[in-house]
Amino acid sequence: MVPYLRQLGQLTLRVFGTVGRAGRVWWHAVWRRPRLRNLPLVIAQIYQLGVLSVVITVLSGFSIGAVLALQGYNQLVRYGSESALGLGVALVLVMEIGPVVSALLFAGRAGSAVTAEIGLAKATEQLSSMEMMGVDPLQRIISPRLWAGFISMPILALLFSAVGIWGAALVGVGWLGVYEGAFWSVMQEGVDFVSHVLKGIVKSIVFGAVVTWIAVFEGYDAEPTSEGIAAATTRTVVYSSVSILVLDFFLTLVMFNL
Amino acid sequence: MAPCVEGVWKVGPLMSDHVVMENVVLRRGLRRVFEGIDLTIPRGKVVAIMGPSGTGKTTLLRLIGGQVLPDSGSVMVNGQEIPRLTRNELFAARRHMGMLFQSGALFSDMSVFENVAFPIRVHTTLQESMIRDLVLLKLESVGLRGAAPLFPNELSGGMNRRVALARAIALDPDIIMYDEPFTGLDPIAMGVIVSLIRTLNQVYGMTSIIVSHDIAEAASIADFIYLIADGRIIASGTPQEIYAEQSPRVKQFVGGLPDGPVPFHYPAADLEEELLEPDEIGR
Repeated sequence: MVPYLRQLGQLTLRVFGTVGRAGRVWWHAVWRRPRLRNLPLVIAQIYQLGVLSVVITVLSGFSIGAVLALQGYNQLVRYGSESALGLGVALVLVMEIGPVVSALLFAGRAGSAVTAEIGLAKATEQLSSMEMMGVDPLQRIISPRLWAGFISMPILALLFSAVGIWGAALVGVGWLGVYEGAFWSVMQEGVDFVSHVLKGIVKSIVFGAVVTWIAVFEGYDAEPTSEGIAAATTRTVVYSSVSILVLDFFLTLVMFNL
Repeated sequence: MAPCVEGVWKVGPLMSDHVVMENVVLRRGLRRVFEGIDLTIPRGKVVAIMGPSGTGKTTLLRLIGGQVLPDSGSVMVNGQEIPRLTRNELFAARRHMGMLFQSGALFSDMSVFENVAFPIRVHTTLQESMIRDLVLLKLESVGLRGAAPLFPNELSGGMNRRVALARAIALDPDIIMYDEPFTGLDPIAMGVIVSLIRTLNQVYGMTSIIVSHDIAEAASIADFIYLIADGRIIASGTPQEIYAEQSPRVKQFVGGLPDGPVPFHYPAADLEEELLEPDEIGR
């Protein structure tokens, strides 16, 4: 019994310690005097994290939109409601699939890269050398990546949804023969910016913040060895993915008054 | 200041002392890294901190730089109590320090030029033309002006360390710390680094702290040597005094002898017993 209690105590201390260190990173990197002179660094990171994620986002968005159109049409046509295909695809994409899947892709492509980059900089004493030059790595390295994540994620999610809708239109209208006017007008009628699109954007901002926070913290806190960096990179993808899915449930519950 | 062996300085800190450590205790888990370290580093001198591997020499530099905080004791640098500084004060204090890391620690995504320019860009508002001139002069002082457009992965080990040295002196610090500057270098590169350290000390008057276990090279440029073992300073003095010291531990280190008070073998069970129990190997 005593060994189990000891293990439980050690686990509790480790969890609280990790949360405390992660909170400290957040505090120093984001809330403590954001500096305008770091803006070029933020822009460079938006390119690294956001722009370089565009291709995978567009390809995935198109594929998912096309599949949703195929599956949706098969169901709707049985009731003669295929004109609602555009509305159904658009709602699913902007409220759920867009923010969630683009965040999962972002965690896999950009999050893991950020963790590996920061972890390697730590292992090769680049962060220590920066500290010894009187430059705070939390301000110089971590903060620009966090801000870039916050900014990039909602844009990527919107891009994902837009391309998905385009993919659905190509399949639904161009191939399956849904009347084009109905496809777009029913969508325009049923999708509300505040009730649907804005809530999806809020979700993606939360996901972006969480994924980037996990990614930078895991890199900054990584054991400075090759095994340590590999484990940290894996943790980033696993923790981010689970966090996105769990948070999505609660955000949906709160924002859509369910 | 009269040096002494197996002990500490006999006089208190002076205004001319750049670094003063008093009764510094540091623990890592259950292990005691330092058990009451007292040392003084006079301004403008070259001081070598030596000792066997794993005795915490690099940790000592990190204490001076404020990257590691002691459990107790005082670490004064330039009259400032380093462990008591706020984060901002500490970063400000570090602008007067330079550190040459064992690995060089150059930023891999920047060219040699950008590496040296980095601290100047961050801490000054100089115009680009002025930064360019300064960087080229620093690189010239380490003989690598021609390597300015190269990237760290295109440099040899010796060149890497010379670029790191140029970066460490970019802001003309008052004090410069060298972490194992001679490790892994060929004789020519080592000679170049030794000469550079001496020149920087003589020309710029920088206080220099060299952490090394290369006794011949360190003794050739150091004004004073501290020998560390088992978390304590076991000897201190000029290179001649260290060479003349008769303490068994000092003699073993200076003479590079495998047998002596510092054991060659890591603590282990009896070899015969362990060989007879093959299942236990590696546990």
